Parts: sequence; C-alpha cells; structure tokens
Amino acid sequence: MLTFGKLTYSQDKGAPFSPMKHIFKIISLLAAISAFWVGLLQASIIPRTHTWLLPIYLVVSLGCYGLLMVGVGLMQFPTCPQEAVLLQQDIAEAKGFLKDKGVDVGSD
Amino acid sequence: MELADRAVGLLLSLISISIFTYFTFWVIIVPFVDSDHFVHQYFLPLEYAIIIPVFAGVALLSLLSLFVGSVMLKSRKKNKKA
Repeated sequence: MLTFGKLTYSQDKGAPFSPMKHIFKIISLLAAISAFWVGLLQASIIPRTHTWLLPIYLVVSLGCYGLLMVGVGLMQFPTCPQEAVLLQQDIAEAKGFLKDKGVDVGSD
Repeated sequence: MELADRAVGLLLSLISISIFTYFTFWVIIVPFVDSDHFVHQYFLPLEYAIIIPVFAGVALLSLLSLFVGSVMLKSRKKNKKA
C-alpha cells in the first residue's frame, strides 16, 4: 500500500530509510506513464480529443483510493471498551475530588 | 458507537469501489467493445468521462474555498467585535 512520508525501518541495516526515496519512485513511475501516454497521443493511436483521459483517470483513482483507505480505517478502528470504562471511572473520581475542593466541574 | 463507525466505513468503501470500477470500465473497457453491443446503453458517451470529473473537481474546489472564506470572515468579524 502507498503511504506518503512514513518513516519505516528496513530489515537489514536497522536504520530508517528516508521518506524522500519513496516519492522519487512515485515520480519516476508517473513520468513513465505520462511518457507512454504522450507517445500514444503523438503516434495518433489515440485521437487528440481524448488527451485528458489518462490524467483524469489517475486523479479519480487517487481520490477513490483515499476514500477507500478512510473507509477501511474507520471499519478497523479499535474502540477499547475496557479502557473506556476505566476512563469514565477516572473522570467520575476526578470530578468528585475537585468538587470537594470547591472547583466548579460543570457539565453534569 | 462502534457499529455506526463500521457502517459508515463500509458505506464509504463500497461507494469508492463502485465509482472506481464504473469509471475503469467506462474509460478502459467500453471503448474497445463493438458499438452495437448492449453495454453501450449503460455508459454515457466518452466525452462525459472528462466533463463529469472536471465539473465535480471544480465544484469541490469552489465549495472548499467558500467554506474557508466564510470561516475567515467569521473569525475576522469576531476579532473586530472583541
């Protein structure tokens, strides 16, 4: 999966490889695809009216990919119900403590 | 609510997958099909595959800039009052 600018550790050296190398790969891939497309256009295999088909297809697929990752992330988001119960107990305890000390705790 | 999150996530994923497959079919597969095949009645002419995304992109950008502009105006008005 593509992730932009994510620092990860490579297996052999144990040192992080920089995020910039990944973007160079992406830029070179994009340059190769556009060279291929311009070549097809110049050789008149594809009529000039369809020039913008490939860039628009790439942009639409990028948007769809982003939306898909958002949806998948939403589905897989862990909610930790035990932690939620503990947090509510902590909040109640803190509110009681502060109310005894005279601080206005508000919202309830 | 965990279930609502999962439902929204599933809905987003289905929408994105369906848009992607329809657009892929439209742009890559349908132009190579014979013009009297029945699938052509499910797809608009190919020039709309350029017009509709451009129009949607322009609408999205203008809505975003309207939102940002209105937020900036509101914050400036609030600063002037206070």
